[in-house]
Amino acid sequence: MSVLAGLSHDLSSTVELVGRSVVAINARRRIPSSGVVWRPGVVVAASHTIARDEDINVTLASGRTAAATLAGRDPATDLAVLRLEDAAVPPVERGEEADLQVGRMVLALGRPGPQLTASLGIISAIGGEWRTWQGGRVERFVRLDLSIYDGFSGGPLVEAGGRVLGLNTSGLARAMALALPASTVDRVSDQLLASGRVSRGYLGVAVQPVQLPESLRRKLGLAGRIGLVVVNLEAGGPAEQAGLLLGDIMTALDGSEVGDPADLLASLGGERVGKPIELQLVRAGELRTVAVTVGERPARKGR
Amino acid sequence: MPPRMDVSTAGPLGAELAALAEALQRVTVRVQVGGAGEGSGIVWRPDGLIVTNAHVARGAAARVSLPGGDRVEGRVVARDPSADLAALLIPVGGLIPATPGDTSTLRPGEIVVALGHPLGVANALSLGVVHEVERGREGVPRWIAADLRLAPGNSGGPLAGVDGRVLGLNTMVYGGLGYALSVSAIARFLRRAGLGPPGERAA
Repeated sequence: MSVLAGLSHDLSSTVELVGRSVVAINARRRIPSSGVVWRPGVVVAASHTIARDEDINVTLASGRTAAATLAGRDPATDLAVLRLEDAAVPPVERGEEADLQVGRMVLALGRPGPQLTASLGIISAIGGEWRTWQGGRVERFVRLDLSIYDGFSGGPLVEAGGRVLGLNTSGLARAMALALPASTVDRVSDQLLASGRVSRGYLGVAVQPVQLPESLRRKLGLAGRIGLVVVNLEAGGPAEQAGLLLGDIMTALDGSEVGDPADLLASLGGERVGKPIELQLVRAGELRTVAVTVGERPARKGR
Repeated sequence: MPPRMDVSTAGPLGAELAALAEALQRVTVRVQVGGAGEGSGIVWRPDGLIVTNAHVARGAAARVSLPGGDRVEGRVVARDPSADLAALLIPVGGLIPATPGDTSTLRPGEIVVALGHPLGVANALSLGVVHEVERGREGVPRWIAADLRLAPGNSGGPLAGVDGRVLGLNTMVYGGLGYALSVSAIARFLRRAGLGPPGERAA
């Protein structure tokens, strides 16, 4: 068999094999969206495609329809987890972190209806950990050079051999095909299955980076050039309760420098909720330290 | 296991694609009607029967550019706007006709290529995979949706499998996908127009 014919056969066999674990989710008015049987009886999907929390059913590869219940959703990473009453559907086989390589040939699968559909491309960029615009943590940045068609969000990203590398979604970036890596899907779905939500730490402040004057840095012995100035304080929020004032400039968190609002987000994982965090501040030209008890970010409306 | 895409296989793969493009060029013509744009067509029979889209062959006649570069006048002998198919007859014999493929076993993920003249670019090849096969009554494939890039000028040209056999006739772009009318739809159109050899190509 020629190389091209062999490749074509392998790709279509991969689609057929993995397609057994791809379901159509009927939870919105328009066309159904896609979901992946991630573990026995557990379906992961893109949160923005699940328009209702109840009365959800899924269409399986066999054409049968099965009831599903929403275990939880995390709009910040655009993930939702459903429990499927039918545990007989095989879960996908997962790839390794090392499979995430630029240039790797990949397929995106979707089931925006009874029929399984596919698109082909490559991984075009890989990066480290990043935060979504809603503050969700994603372990790896995975950008794809392929088309994510209508109803494809929540479908699997599959390497040519059939191992699933992540979940495709159009809900995290405009006009860019991105995938959530399997490690993020694992972590978030674990939390959603255990507690129905993903908890995030929160201080109740809005900050903006500012350049610290050289004279101030010398006087206070500050190494960093950038501080974070408090531009908004939520009434009754953890920061206000701890005595923070508008105009305070944060220079360190728990002893390590902060120079970017992302540093603040990064240190506010769910594990910090209820625990104190030590903020170093510049107020009225003097350094001071304030301990703030990290609160839990209130659930935001939306999907 | 999938073939490892290392340097040793990149050569044969590239050569196979080039051979595939060449084989399809031999059965693909360019169709022009007045100044109203242009499209592609597929050589269906050695005696000069060409199939294309009805929206390409708009008038009673069309100018057809053969793979060798010769230009001839073609007469529209059948046209069905609802099926968006048309047949042209050109006064040239001994042509190499397209070989129809088997669409009944086509699966999503199979590699397909399209040849045509998108936006005036001659003999452009696009590569992608089968996205979905839409079947009509009795399960006969009617449309092949493909994840590949098409543009105006691809209309009427062949969508083929990796063996060079023609699976469909590229007809439209919808939702970013290329849609090709299947060879079964072409065969049915020709049969109805009295142009199909009875019993043959009836998928």
